[in-house]
Amino acid sequence: MNESLLFLIPLLPLFCALINIVFGMRLPRLFAETMAIIGVAGAFVLTILLWGYAEGEGTRAVLFTWLNSGTVDISFALNFDRLAAPMTLMVTGVATLIHIYAVGYMHKEEDYARFFGLLNLFVFAMLAIILADNLLVLFLGWEGVGLCSYGLIGFWYQKVENARAGTKAFLVTRVGDVFLGIALLWLFALTGTLSISEINAQATSISPGVILALTLLLLLGACGKSAQMPLMTWLADAMAGPTPVSALIHAATMVTAGVYLLCRLFPLVSLSAVGMMAITAIGALTAIYAATCAMAQREIKRVLAYSTMSQVGYMFMAVGAGTVTGAMFHLLTHAFFKALLFMAAGCVIHLAGGENDIFKMGGLARRGPKELFWVFLAGAVCLAGLPLTGGFFSKDGILLALYTHPDPFYKVFWLIAILTALLTAFYTFRLVYLVFAGEWRGTGKPHAISLQMRWPLWPLALLGLAGGLLNLPAFVGGSEALHHWYGALAGRLVTVSHEVEWMLIALAVLIVALGWFAAHWRYRNYQAPLDNAAGRFLLNGWYMDALVDRALVRPFAAMARFCSSGLDRSLFDGTINGLARMVSAWGTLLVQLTTGRLTTYLSAFAWGFLILLGWLLLKLVNGGGQ
Amino acid sequence: MIIPFGHALAFAAALFVLGLTCVLLRRQIIMILIGVEIMLNAASLVFIAASAYWQQVDGQVFVILLMAITAAEVAVALAMVVYLWRRKRTLVADEFNGMHG
Amino acid sequence: MLAATLLCITRRNPVHAVIYLVTAFFALALMFYLLGAPLVAAWEVVVYAGAIMVLFLFIIMMLGLAPQEVPEGPGWQRWGPLVLLSSSMMACTLLLIFQDPLASKEIGDFYLAPQALGEALFSRYALAVEIVSFQLLFAAIGAYILGRPLPKGDN
Repeated sequence: MNESLLFLIPLLPLFCALINIVFGMRLPRLFAETMAIIGVAGAFVLTILLWGYAEGEGTRAVLFTWLNSGTVDISFALNFDRLAAPMTLMVTGVATLIHIYAVGYMHKEEDYARFFGLLNLFVFAMLAIILADNLLVLFLGWEGVGLCSYGLIGFWYQKVENARAGTKAFLVTRVGDVFLGIALLWLFALTGTLSISEINAQATSISPGVILALTLLLLLGACGKSAQMPLMTWLADAMAGPTPVSALIHAATMVTAGVYLLCRLFPLVSLSAVGMMAITAIGALTAIYAATCAMAQREIKRVLAYSTMSQVGYMFMAVGAGTVTGAMFHLLTHAFFKALLFMAAGCVIHLAGGENDIFKMGGLARRGPKELFWVFLAGAVCLAGLPLTGGFFSKDGILLALYTHPDPFYKVFWLIAILTALLTAFYTFRLVYLVFAGEWRGTGKPHAISLQMRWPLWPLALLGLAGGLLNLPAFVGGSEALHHWYGALAGRLVTVSHEVEWMLIALAVLIVALGWFAAHWRYRNYQAPLDNAAGRFLLNGWYMDALVDRALVRPFAAMARFCSSGLDRSLFDGTINGLARMVSAWGTLLVQLTTGRLTTYLSAFAWGFLILLGWLLLKLVNGGGQ
Repeated sequence: MIIPFGHALAFAAALFVLGLTCVLLRRQIIMILIGVEIMLNAASLVFIAASAYWQQVDGQVFVILLMAITAAEVAVALAMVVYLWRRKRTLVADEFNGMHG
Repeated sequence: MLAATLLCITRRNPVHAVIYLVTAFFALALMFYLLGAPLVAAWEVVVYAGAIMVLFLFIIMMLGLAPQEVPEGPGWQRWGPLVLLSSSMMACTLLLIFQDPLASKEIGDFYLAPQALGEALFSRYALAVEIVSFQLLFAAIGAYILGRPLPKGDN
């Protein structure tokens, strides 16, 4: 097989996206949907078939030369190596399942061509990020996911809050993109190339101060897309989009793009210890912030959104602690169970008759299909980190990396991570109890859940539960498959004595049990939500939105208003209109000369003649004077 | 008659200015036309004086032609005056301001 | 002559103005004769004073422009700037005339016989005479057209 076939992996979704966008509404609905599913499923199959290319050093395939001028030589190239392959497999696989789910979820939607076109386009852009060989192609994909995210979040734009949520997502991530762009240009100026492998190779020749600056810039860029602090305000509002969108973009793919970027440039960022600590700090801060907010949320999807924010914080902590394996492991398992949770939440919302508020649900374990409860529970225990689930092993790997870090300050981060795990268990089981246990508190009529919405949940549940097998730690007899797969790209190897490991595992088990118990004690029998100041503080995300609004948005809007009415309308328009009015006034003055009366004109003749005579006289006098 | 040329010119100039004053001063069209006549006569005087100075005949010929033209012009002008009178029953020049802007 | 012209332009009654102008033309004819142009002088009287001014009088009388009570003359405000205008024009012109050395040359004795004038007129200036005769024809036609009665209902 030719290595150029690798290009079909991203281009197949792109092609199907274009077909859907251009012709979608004219095709029969089933055709458009099938087209969309084939786009991603085909990419998935291709990834499996071409897996061999990823082994060893990976394969670099060039499609065409994009920019070629002077010293700049950038081509549209893919790098299918050991870091990219599992991620590609995950993205295409999860995307296929979500597409099938979406067919069922959106079956009442009129505008299906736009939806499926955007969904496929998004997958293409994400694959561009993953498979990019140089930073420019990555940036192309980066912007592409931002655009598709905007389009998909604001899909039901007829309601203005949805459009506003989409715009907010786009603008906040754009701020991060600015920093990424600066880092890109700086790297190009330093190394003369944008190829990732070459940058990583030349990383050691860059001075430490510059590396720190670059790391911080890349971190900020990653924060935008991954909804970490300080650029996290968009994720909760992004739940205004359809549930398949939330499952795809805000669970498995776009929010992990930031982590992926840092892993890709790991040889560069790992050279700066301060930079790594910054990454870990941001991850830790966001993790605990999001976990506290998730505890007080009322809408089911917002709980999951904050949960995503928190778990991506874990991934950042892993990168900062030096283990790419840990970060990617958690990324993969998180993708499985979070996508599962989002899709199951979509089914729950359907069952509750379109109701979002978990305090108005309850008893759905009995009301809905039995299987829904079990898959949701599977996802929940993965999230909480119940022992032996995939989520447990991946989270444990990260905690271990933090604990064993040479720098003792990382123990603080470890403590924060432990606390966050406790909170995670608490809010997860709070969610389960409020939705499924007790009596039905709602008022709506359940909508039907079609088959396409139900069966994609099962593979994800299985993958989530069994995901631990991907990188089972050695001391329980596993093979650490993922770590060995990554080889040189894996980052720091985490080795620790068996006693410490068991102690840490015991601690993790204790945490989960505590969290479960607390949730059980409080929510097993329904309690009305606390409406005190603390509750509201957490519900509104520590009022971060209001802060951003006051600090940034309002001054900007005021400046825009000043420029528009003060400068543009008053100054520029005023000047031009004033000029026009002045000319018009002169015209009015001059018009008074045209009286139409003979005597006026004759007088004009006479006076003109006098002036002429006077001029002649003057000429004479001057001529005579010389 | 032996006079300096300048005197003749000055006299003609005075006559011309008087004619111009008449044109600008009076409001009735008839009076304006009379002023025009005075100005034309001043011009004729200049021609005659020049003809005498240079001892040529051409100046006088021109005056004859001028008189003929003037006659034609007066005929048409007075016909117009009659027409205007019939239109507006007044001959004050200021009344005819239909072409004002 | 200047006195006559001055009186002419300041009369309120147009008939009086015409009469004074005729007087002025007589004086002018005399000046023509003294400058050596007897034929022109004669024609001045015959054509100008005799035909043109008579035509003026005719129109004035026909249109009834000189009723018993005299119409209002020009007002004071028009009078002022115009005097200024004409006096300054006069001053300029005088200055221009007398700065030229030609002005102090004397006009010599000159007397042109009518025969010489007629010879020049019909030999060298014959074309001009023909054209002027055309012009008179045009004027007559124009005057006729303008003098036609107005169509009914025309404002």
